[in-house]
Order: sequence, then structure tokens, then C-alpha cells
Amino acid sequence: MTGPAPASATARFDELWSRIGAALHTDAPLSSRVGEAALTATGAREAVLYLKDRDAWVRTGESGPVGPAPGELPEPLPTGVYHREGDLWLPLTAEGELHGLLRLCGVPEGASDGAALLGFLLGSVVATHRLSKQVRDAEFELKARLLELESLYDLGLSLGGQLDLSALADEVLFRSISLTDAGKGTLVLLEESGAVLLERSVGGEVVSARDAASWSLPEGGVINNEAAAVPTGGLMLSRCEKCLAVGIAVPGRRLGILAVADKESRDGRVLDFTATDARLLSLFANQAAGAIETARLHREAIEKERIERELELAAAIQRQILPRDLPAVPGVEIAARNRPTRQVGGDYFDVFPLSRGRLAFLVADVSGKGVPAALLVSTVHAAVHLQIDEAKTIAELVGRVDRHLQKYAATRKFLTCFFGLVEPDTGTLRYVSAGHNPALLRRGSGAVEPLGATGVPLGMFPNASWREETTVMQPGDLLCVYSDGITEALDAADEEFGLERLSRLLDEGPPARICDSVFDAVSAFAGDTSQYDDQTLLLLKRA
Amino acid sequence: MSEACKVSAERRGDVAILRTDGYINNQGGEEIAREAYAQLEGGARALVLNLEKTRIVNSIGISILIEVLEKVMDRKGMLAFCGLTPTIDKTFRIMGLAQYAEIYPTQEDALRGVNPQPA
Repeated sequence: MTGPAPASATARFDELWSRIGAALHTDAPLSSRVGEAALTATGAREAVLYLKDRDAWVRTGESGPVGPAPGELPEPLPTGVYHREGDLWLPLTAEGELHGLLRLCGVPEGASDGAALLGFLLGSVVATHRLSKQVRDAEFELKARLLELESLYDLGLSLGGQLDLSALADEVLFRSISLTDAGKGTLVLLEESGAVLLERSVGGEVVSARDAASWSLPEGGVINNEAAAVPTGGLMLSRCEKCLAVGIAVPGRRLGILAVADKESRDGRVLDFTATDARLLSLFANQAAGAIETARLHREAIEKERIERELELAAAIQRQILPRDLPAVPGVEIAARNRPTRQVGGDYFDVFPLSRGRLAFLVADVSGKGVPAALLVSTVHAAVHLQIDEAKTIAELVGRVDRHLQKYAATRKFLTCFFGLVEPDTGTLRYVSAGHNPALLRRGSGAVEPLGATGVPLGMFPNASWREETTVMQPGDLLCVYSDGITEALDAADEEFGLERLSRLLDEGPPARICDSVFDAVSAFAGDTSQYDDQTLLLLKRA
Repeated sequence: MSEACKVSAERRGDVAILRTDGYINNQGGEEIAREAYAQLEGGARALVLNLEKTRIVNSIGISILIEVLEKVMDRKGMLAFCGLTPTIDKTFRIMGLAQYAEIYPTQEDALRGVNPQPA
């Protein structure tokens, strides 16, 4: 050892400790501190430290003015102080284990005395440093496991009240990526039909939504560490080196896929996902599945409520529009009724007493259902009431109503309509049928004549025109105008009520009774089968 | 969310405000450490890490933040976090970052925290 000659062995030992302690007690990295301590203690010119990294000995640091040229490690590794080509090789041991090797160059003559003790001291420093790091790593790992448990708990709590699918997806994906140390991740949620409902990626797409839709779970439900671009269960895991993917499912239904990729390490390597990662991701997927199903049911309930409100509104509009009472017009008997279905279609009928005892009437059937159809009916109603006194003929009235619809209707829907005008004195019936079901004219003889379409439906083509037809109703003749909800009413065998059955119900009786008969017959025919179209019937008989 | 975490720095006296945008993983952590060390070398006494635009942190990112915290403590400096999501807030508390660094709701709170007013 170097320095002034100490007075005693004890003092020399104290000084050695003091020098080593001073060199070691700095903020420098371990390799520098060990090297400096060795240089301080021995007076050597240069020091090189080799530490074991996994299974290999790695040159970890050097101290001194110039780092010595690389040299091969002695074979076998020395267990005691070892001299080679003027260098001193010092094994750093503690508790019988070799923790490092120190190569000292330019050691002054006689300074290697006590080197074995120095090796033991520095070995203890290296061992303590390693132990301390292991304890810190273990503590970090323990906290990370605690974080996983807390995250599972928090996720359960937060997903339990989360009805926003988008926020829910973010929550699950972010935690999955974070807790598996993944570099990227993707979450895809699917509709019941298999269509993509939602897709989220962080750091890049792990799996495309298109592939996710056709993916089938492999045995065990988890894909782990497959290399990129290897199709597994029909899933092409692209743009990643290693991945972990699990299905999100409830019994009997696949809801989506959760995939993370490229597990990071501190040194930049891509690690294999572990069994713990797979278990954690599966737990997240299970929690997500429950929450997604709850959110879906909630969304469906809201949608159902919205539809119910819309139907109520549509029904209210329709109730306001349909005439409450039918006018009494000398020379004719009238009966009319509308039976809306639950889905509220767009049937409309109306009657208008005109000058000179004439009577105009109509039955219309709007395409579509719900509020849009009800609004169109409302527009037609307004247009007819505005134009009926202006038009000179039925054809002109229909043309005016059509132009009104083309100009003002909020929705691009169309309607069929039978518009008639009867003069009770003469029995002259003028009519326009805009693509409507054939009206039925039952003669006193019992013969039934269909009155077919005289033009296209309203609102369908700009600049369309309609032909006006004329016929004469003899006393006792009965005109039956109806919507297709009557003739197309279905029974349990999907058979339609049909024109034939309707025709047979038209007799010489009063229209009100016939009207009841028709509705009773349709009800009996349909039984419990749900009907999807409004049913409207207007009967007009010349007295 | 962007693939790479971006870190921007603003200096207010001897306090450096570092704002992150993106995933604090290995790359994001290294970016923060590089900027933090540059600020410390440049004389910053305190660091405020504003994580308003970060929604994910992994364990590698946390270990790097711990290294930054240790470096700041070695220099007798201060480190404060702000703008954490509830998840990241809890993560930092469990992983021990909150033991030596204060967590504040906003950047203004953090700046007041690292610049205590004389009584």
C-alpha cells in the first residue's frame, strides 16, 4: 500500500478504511467508485472493473488517466490475487461468491500487500450494492403487483358505473397497456352482427378491426407471444414483434378483442409477455365484457325509450289530423275508420263537404313509419286543406298537393292516395288514384269493379301529372277505399287477408256495419299475429 | 394517442416546467430524464412535471421517473407533479413516487409548492 508509513498496523488498517471509505462515498456510479477506491488504496495507475451480467463477464468501467487496452480475462478465473504481464488481477469476493474482477495496471512495487483484503472489501461493496438493488427491484415488483390488484379493483368499480362505451374502452385499454408494460395496444368492440362498433389503438394498431371481426379464439382463449404476421385463429397480428391477445366475450357471444404488443424492458429489448400478463389481460377482458354488456343493454333501453316517445308523438300527430266526426251529407252515407298499429304508420283519411252538396274525400298511405311519416301526413293534410278551395278539378288538386310536397316536405318520402269527389244528386264520381290500391266499387247487382291507379304516387317525381277518371254511382252502389294495411294484414301462416276477402264483405248493408265487419274480419284473420301497417277503410254509399 | 411521448420545457427562474404529451414508457421516460438532467445541469433547483396530456404510464416509465427523483434529491432539489389523471395519481402513490415528490392538481399549485412564500 502507498502513502506515508503508518506508525502501526492498526493505524495502517484505519487509514486503508478511511481512504476506501472516502473514495466509495461519492455520487459516482458503482464501477467508478470501486475503481477509484482501488487506485486510492494501491496507488495503481489504472483500474478496470469486470462485473457479471447474467451469464457473461462484462467490462463495466475503468478508472485512471487512460483506460488500459482490453485484455482477455484469465482462464480459469482467479480465486486469489493473480499477477499477469505486470497487471494485478483482484477477485472481488464476498460470502464465498465471486462478484467482480478488478484489473489493476501500474501497481507500485510492494503495493499489492493486503490486496486480498482490498478484494474482500470491494467485493463486499459490490455484493451490498447488488443486494440493495435486488431489494429495491423486489420492492418495486411488489408495488407493481399491488398496483395490478388495485387496478383490477378500481377497474371493477369504475366500469360498474360506466355506460359510455368509448370511455370504458379507453379505461380498459390504457390500464392493459400500462400494467403489461406493452409498447402498444388495440381494443376492438363488435356489434352483435359482427360489424365493428368501436376501435381504439395506442402506440399503433396491433390488430386491424377487420381481422378482429372474423377472429376465432384459439384453445385457452389467449394468443401469447406469436411473432408478427403469423395468422393465429384467423387473426393477423401485424406491426408488432410479440403480442398478447384475448377475446372479450360473454357466454354465447363475442364482444371484441383486447391485444397488447411489444412488452418493453429498460434496456430497449422486446420481452416475452408472461403468464401473469396473460392472466391480468384476461381478467381485464372479463371485467370489460360485463361492463360492455351492461352498457349495451342500457343503450338499447334508451333507444327503446326514444322509439316509444317517437311513436307516442307520431300517434298524437295522427290523432289530431284524422277527422273526429264525419259530416252528414244528403244523398250519401259515409263510414270511415283508422286502426293504427303499434309502430304508427302514415295512413290518413279525410272528407270535405263542398258547395252544391258535393263531397270530396281521400285515403292516403305514406311510406315509412314513425315521426317522419306522421310529419308527412301532417304536410299533406295542410296542403289539401289549403288547396281544396283553389283547385277546379281533382287532378288539379292532386297536382297542387304534389308540388307543395316537393317544395316543403321535410323528408323525401312518398305517398299513395285515392282522391274522390262525388255529386250525390247525379252520382257522378270523379277520382284520381295516385298509385293507390284499387278502390272497389260494388254495384247494386253485387258486381265489384276495381278503380285502378291513374298516376304515380305523390312526392315521387317532379312534374308528374295525374289522369282524372269519372264514373257514375247508382243509388245503392258502395265505394270502398282502403289502405294496404287491410288487404295485406297477415295471419300466423304469413298469408295476406287479400282483396278477395275484402270484396266478399261488401254488401248492400249500411257502411257503418260493413266497416265493423271488415275490421272484425281482419282481426279474426290476423289473430295474435303482429301487424306492421295502419289499417284504414272509407266506405261511401249512394243513398 | 401519438406514438412517441413529447416533452417540452419552460424555465421560470430556477424552476423548470416539463410538459409531457403521450405515453410515458421507456422512450417517454428517457425523454423526460434527458430534459430533466439538462435543466438540472442548467441550474434548475426544482422541476415541475406537468402530465396533463399523458394518460398512460408503465413501470419502465415509473422507474425512470424514480431515477430522476433520486437525482433531484441528490442535488437537494425539489420535484413536483401536476395534471395527473386519477389513475396515474394512484399509480404514483402506490409506486412510491409521492413519497418524495409532491403531487398537485394544477401547474399553478405546483409552482406555488416549489416556491414556498416566506411566512
